[in-house]
Amino acid sequence: MSGLKIVLFLCNWAPHAAFQKLQEYGSLIPPEVRMVRVPCTGRVTKSLLFKAFEMGADGVALVGCESGACRYGSGTAIASRNAEDAREILELLALGKERLRIATFLPEESEGLRRFLTGFAEDLRGMGASPVEVVGRSIDSERRPISLQLSDADPGVGTKERRNVTAEIVAAYDMYACQDCGKCSSACPLTLSGKAFSPRALANAVIGGHMDSPVVARDVWSCLTCGLCYDRCPSAVEFHEFVRRMREVLRDQGKAGHEAHDGFFQSLMRTMTSPALKIDKWKWLPEGIRTDPGSKTLFFGGCAPYFDIFFGHHLGVRTREILVDSLRLLNFFDIHPALIPGERCCGHDLLWTGDREGFLALARLNVEAFRSAGIEEIITACPECFRTLNHDYPKQGIQMPCKVTHLYEFLEQQIEKGAVGFAPLHRRITFQDPCRLSRMENRPELPRKLLGRLRPLHFKEMQDHGNSALCCGNCAWTGCDSYTKALQVKRLQQAKSTGSDLLVTACPKCQIHLRCAMEDPFRGKEIEMELMDLTTLLAKTIHWE
Amino acid sequence: MNPSGKGEVRVKAGEKGAPPREILITGFGGQGIVLAGLILGKAASLGDRKEATLTQSYGPEARGGACSAQVIISDRKIHYPYVRNPDVLVCMSQGGFEKYAHLLKPGGVLIIDQDLVRLSGTWESECFGVPATRMAEELGRKMMANIVMLGFFTALTGAVSVESIRSAVSASVPKGTEDKNLNAFNRGLDFGLATLKGRQKKAEGRKGAN
Repeated sequence: MSGLKIVLFLCNWAPHAAFQKLQEYGSLIPPEVRMVRVPCTGRVTKSLLFKAFEMGADGVALVGCESGACRYGSGTAIASRNAEDAREILELLALGKERLRIATFLPEESEGLRRFLTGFAEDLRGMGASPVEVVGRSIDSERRPISLQLSDADPGVGTKERRNVTAEIVAAYDMYACQDCGKCSSACPLTLSGKAFSPRALANAVIGGHMDSPVVARDVWSCLTCGLCYDRCPSAVEFHEFVRRMREVLRDQGKAGHEAHDGFFQSLMRTMTSPALKIDKWKWLPEGIRTDPGSKTLFFGGCAPYFDIFFGHHLGVRTREILVDSLRLLNFFDIHPALIPGERCCGHDLLWTGDREGFLALARLNVEAFRSAGIEEIITACPECFRTLNHDYPKQGIQMPCKVTHLYEFLEQQIEKGAVGFAPLHRRITFQDPCRLSRMENRPELPRKLLGRLRPLHFKEMQDHGNSALCCGNCAWTGCDSYTKALQVKRLQQAKSTGSDLLVTACPKCQIHLRCAMEDPFRGKEIEMELMDLTTLLAKTIHWE
Repeated sequence: MNPSGKGEVRVKAGEKGAPPREILITGFGGQGIVLAGLILGKAASLGDRKEATLTQSYGPEARGGACSAQVIISDRKIHYPYVRNPDVLVCMSQGGFEKYAHLLKPGGVLIIDQDLVRLSGTWESECFGVPATRMAEELGRKMMANIVMLGFFTALTGAVSVESIRSAVSASVPKGTEDKNLNAFNRGLDFGLATLKGRQKKAEGRKGAN
């Protein structure tokens, strides 16, 4: 016995009959195979396929009915599309797409099924065990004691008693300073979208000791953590940080939130915490991009390549072009940056969904990679990576060995030197602020300086902009619902009413979320608008004078 | 990034690609034309240990009219201090351009404040523009335009070393304004380096980022 594990998702209908025949005849089914009977392979999402790997599978087989034989019509097609996407992501993660296989069988094709399974098991023995580590990262809440979450840098929890947890959180984030004035709820985009949600009510409930109330849990996971309430709060209660800490506590109690896309991205990021995973992140880069492994300047890409595969069939987003265009802009100014092939997610989404342990594991791996490459400066185009590397790493006790610069700041410095111009842009543009850069890092001027250099037909700000901008609707892949959709629609209407025909974004997620809202079949053209990242726009028009 | 500008491409202003020998700086009286010439000469003689002369012409032209500073920098003794046909002509006013442009040596380099000088339609020699006055205004003092121009000039021609001219600038401007002036100098220098880089890229056919 090899000790390897193959999770077999087996359709209830045709292939299950074949599988039963194998069992009845006493045929040898490889011992690695653990069968999970499912009603239809079309219902096995990308997230379920991927979670198997996160939780320790060495291989996953998705076995369904032949196309045309699907009892529900579209199951086989959906399954093959899901498997295709998941395989591409496994390949990008260097787990290898061969670890996930899809096949279809008729009820009488038991021999074919046997050959498929034994062949898969043999190949897998050749590939060896998956490099993904599961130890200590079970999603089973009972096995994750609160004490694991402690660090010296954080005003942590000293005892498992809930009452003390509450008292310490209230003290740590100065919740008593709340004057109950209501400025937060009058600004909160979620409240304004009609949801029964109020930051101050949540603060009061926690102060009042209702930590265990299901309403508190619901509200903690609903918050967008956009930080607009903090911007308005006369007592400077750092509400988003309070929510972040609350999520850690709730997650420890097994009260995880409603993770969007079935928790696929959290799963992906937790998988990346395995040190043995030899990610090869950049092999898809187009030719002509000049990089230098010995450079002391690092370009930190972020997760856009994964997003593109995941949403490729759905929204057709091309956010990884932002990374290509960033590199082109760096090359334009003769910077040939280093790239780290094993670059992990910065950890933003795990940090903001209460998985501090996973966040710290990612942060340590990243910082180790920066150190061993002797990096002196990191340039990133992602506002979340920028905020996380620049602010949250040190704040959570991870010392950064180098300085972090947002691409916009670097570009502004270079363009300021002169002799650089921009081609006219025959578009009317407006701008969606990324909350992590414009509000939390308080740098709304960075994108605006660059926008001011572009030569569009007009640039008009939306009603809410800069520090006061409205959120794109979701943060850290959590809490997506009809209210956040309503918020996105409102934002797009604001963008439309500026008379612009191009909405410029500065974060891949803003682009994904706003694009998703445009899929609304009832709104149609009313909110449809072309989206483009500022980086792409700069790369398209910049030139030497 | 290379703040000293060493190893960068420069314009070939002097004989056979050597640094320029004869430099004529022109502009309005009051723009600091003569001071610019003085700083340049100081940098060459005190800093770079070369020979340098400065001849100023203002007289009735001072205070508003065209004025000029003639600088000669050489490795050998200079026997005649007047500039007849400059290798580099710096113009910070339209009047200066119109009065002196015809003197420029064939193949010489013209440097202008691009906001203050409009080239005549028939102008054919190589020309480099810098918004020196605008940059100085952005930095807080219009009167530093001459220093911005010196930075630009240094980046383009390499007539003097960057270290020498930086210390000459600090030594020649009023006490207490050294940092501001060095800032202005760097601004011009960066603009010059960027301009050269841009021209080189264009020559290689790589104008944009794509």
